[in-house]
Amino acid sequence: MPTIGINELKPGVIVAEAVVSRDGRVLLAAGGKVEARHVALFKGLGVSGVVAAGGAGGAHDEAAAGYVRDYFVFLNPDSPVVNELFSYAAQAVARRMESGWTLPSLAERRAENVEHLSDVLPMETADPDKIVDHEVQLASFPDVYFKLRQEMDSPTGSVQSLAEIITRDVSLTAKLLKLANSPIYSLPEPVESIARAIAVIGTNELSTLALGVSTINYFKGIPKELIDMAAFWRHSVSCAIFAHILAKALGEQNTERFFIAGLLHDVGRLILFKEMPYASSEALLHARENSLPIVEAERAMLGFTHTDLGRSLLARWDFPPQITVLVNQHHDPMSAPSPREAAIVHLADFFANVAGVAAGWLYVLPPLDEKAWELTGLPPSSARRVMSDFESQAEKTFSAFF
Amino acid sequence: MNTSPVTSFLLRKASAISDEEFIQLRDFIYAKCGIWIDEKRKYLIQNRFEGRVAKLGMKTFTEYLKFLQYDANRDKELPFVFELITTNETSFFRDQKQLDAFTDHILMPVLAQQRAKNRFELSIWSAGCSSGEEPYTLAMILAEKLGPELRKWRISIQGCDISLPMLAKAKSGVYSDYAFKTTPEAMRRKYFTPVEGGFKISPAVSSMVSFQHLNLNDAAAMKRLPKSQVVFCRNVIIYFDTAMRKKVVSAFYDNLQPGGYLILGHSETLHGITMAFAPKFFPGAVAYLKS
Repeated sequence: MPTIGINELKPGVIVAEAVVSRDGRVLLAAGGKVEARHVALFKGLGVSGVVAAGGAGGAHDEAAAGYVRDYFVFLNPDSPVVNELFSYAAQAVARRMESGWTLPSLAERRAENVEHLSDVLPMETADPDKIVDHEVQLASFPDVYFKLRQEMDSPTGSVQSLAEIITRDVSLTAKLLKLANSPIYSLPEPVESIARAIAVIGTNELSTLALGVSTINYFKGIPKELIDMAAFWRHSVSCAIFAHILAKALGEQNTERFFIAGLLHDVGRLILFKEMPYASSEALLHARENSLPIVEAERAMLGFTHTDLGRSLLARWDFPPQITVLVNQHHDPMSAPSPREAAIVHLADFFANVAGVAAGWLYVLPPLDEKAWELTGLPPSSARRVMSDFESQAEKTFSAFF
Repeated sequence: MNTSPVTSFLLRKASAISDEEFIQLRDFIYAKCGIWIDEKRKYLIQNRFEGRVAKLGMKTFTEYLKFLQYDANRDKELPFVFELITTNETSFFRDQKQLDAFTDHILMPVLAQQRAKNRFELSIWSAGCSSGEEPYTLAMILAEKLGPELRKWRISIQGCDISLPMLAKAKSGVYSDYAFKTTPEAMRRKYFTPVEGGFKISPAVSSMVSFQHLNLNDAAAMKRLPKSQVVFCRNVIIYFDTAMRKKVVSAFYDNLQPGGYLILGHSETLHGITMAFAPKFFPGAVAYLKS
């Protein structure tokens, strides 16, 4: 609970604990609202500060709400679920400010100097397919991916051979075991081997996870002045967790594919960073300067978006179609063959962006398709539950990846 | 003790813009400056303008729209409108690779041709120059390349922008650190002097540059500009729709002398706008030749 120093105390704060003078008199009972006369009284009697009820009327509320409002400029202020999430983000930012977080300045919100980077193709001739062509010619995809893919398609595939393929890749094995032991599954006993993980989680489910996770190592060597890669992956893993939570809440089967679709939903942006670093930095700069979501800035600057690149790349990799479609449609769920499924990843991306505001993410939230939310049939108030489920799972799940 | 949050925050800050008002404001902006604001940006526009509406003591967007259309002072309001819809932050020597390509493959040959003709003059138009970083950068490049010979030349770099506050900043020639983000330190030392509030451009450079208020939607005003050998228009047409892009690019074409070049922003192309120019590919840059 935030403590507000007497000099920062403003009328309107609700106190969580009684305010007591040095000689033991109760000046304001718990739950009471601070008024102007109280502030003067507390000062006069040497009260050093008060314990405020979380989020309510705190010293930083106004600044926090103002800061968060800037990220919500593309959203309908009259949508109940949007308001629920706005409120959540503003409270989260206020809480962080209580513990000493300084809001990023305008200067910090601008991109770094990337003058030394060059694109592989001039924009005049660049299109998503050509960019992906260049990328797949250049870098070879992790071997384990293709072996897994083969195994999944093979009618003679076995649990044992799947376990063998995975365990030969030490880093993949470690990540999968951490995931299996993360709060996503909240298993009663720790899982210590891939064979055990397959038995507990299921063959199809673990294959899907392994396939998605095996692709991550492919994306190394992205210039760090271009984008904070830790923040990028944090957003991706957050989206994965939200997709998993929402898929479960909606009673979906094989929720792992939602997790993996969430994890890889922005894969097209990684290709853009690798192949067209200067153009993508221009798009990022355009997004920041004009308060645009990245996807809108890409459309304006490049004429295509990261979902076009993702679509082309995942097709080249022969990614399972039930995952690919979720990735491709994450900004446009309602035109997917199964809008309800696509809505899950769309909403997960949005929730992850909301959670990111208080974590220092610097880009305006993309538009929310309110029809996608309606499809879930969840009441707006459940957005809070989803957020708190996420909070309880986030840190441990992140540790599987970082 | 119950400590659960008791307040929640409300996203809506002011009165809503109705669909009708949004369409009117959008059409007004498009008619005035050719900037197209699509439906998705409705809340953004509402957000950006509500402060302005409140500041003028108005309660609704309808009131503001009436003011924009009929008030005796309506023209004085336009710069505020432009200010709210365009953001033009830039820096000196932005996109160094493009500038290098321009210098080596366009500027140097053009200077050589002019020398051969004994015509020591060069005219460049910087369209949408914002706070002046681009025209001053071009002037610095010329100062570097011509050296002492610069005295013999009549260089005219014409910077134009729609925003009066940006032009005022350009004319003052004083810049803070952000403008030097992409600037070689040697250039800053050579062509700027520290003053209060930042660094001031040297008169040797600024004397090559002049600034003019210009709306790229004003075809007649563009016709009055002197003909140029090079037109720079970087990260400007991105704000326009196709119809407006065609209109502006055709004005650039008319303004250019034969053999002149149009330079767009790094990620901008003339794809789907015009076939009148021949794209020339240089490492790190594309330039469009009026042949």
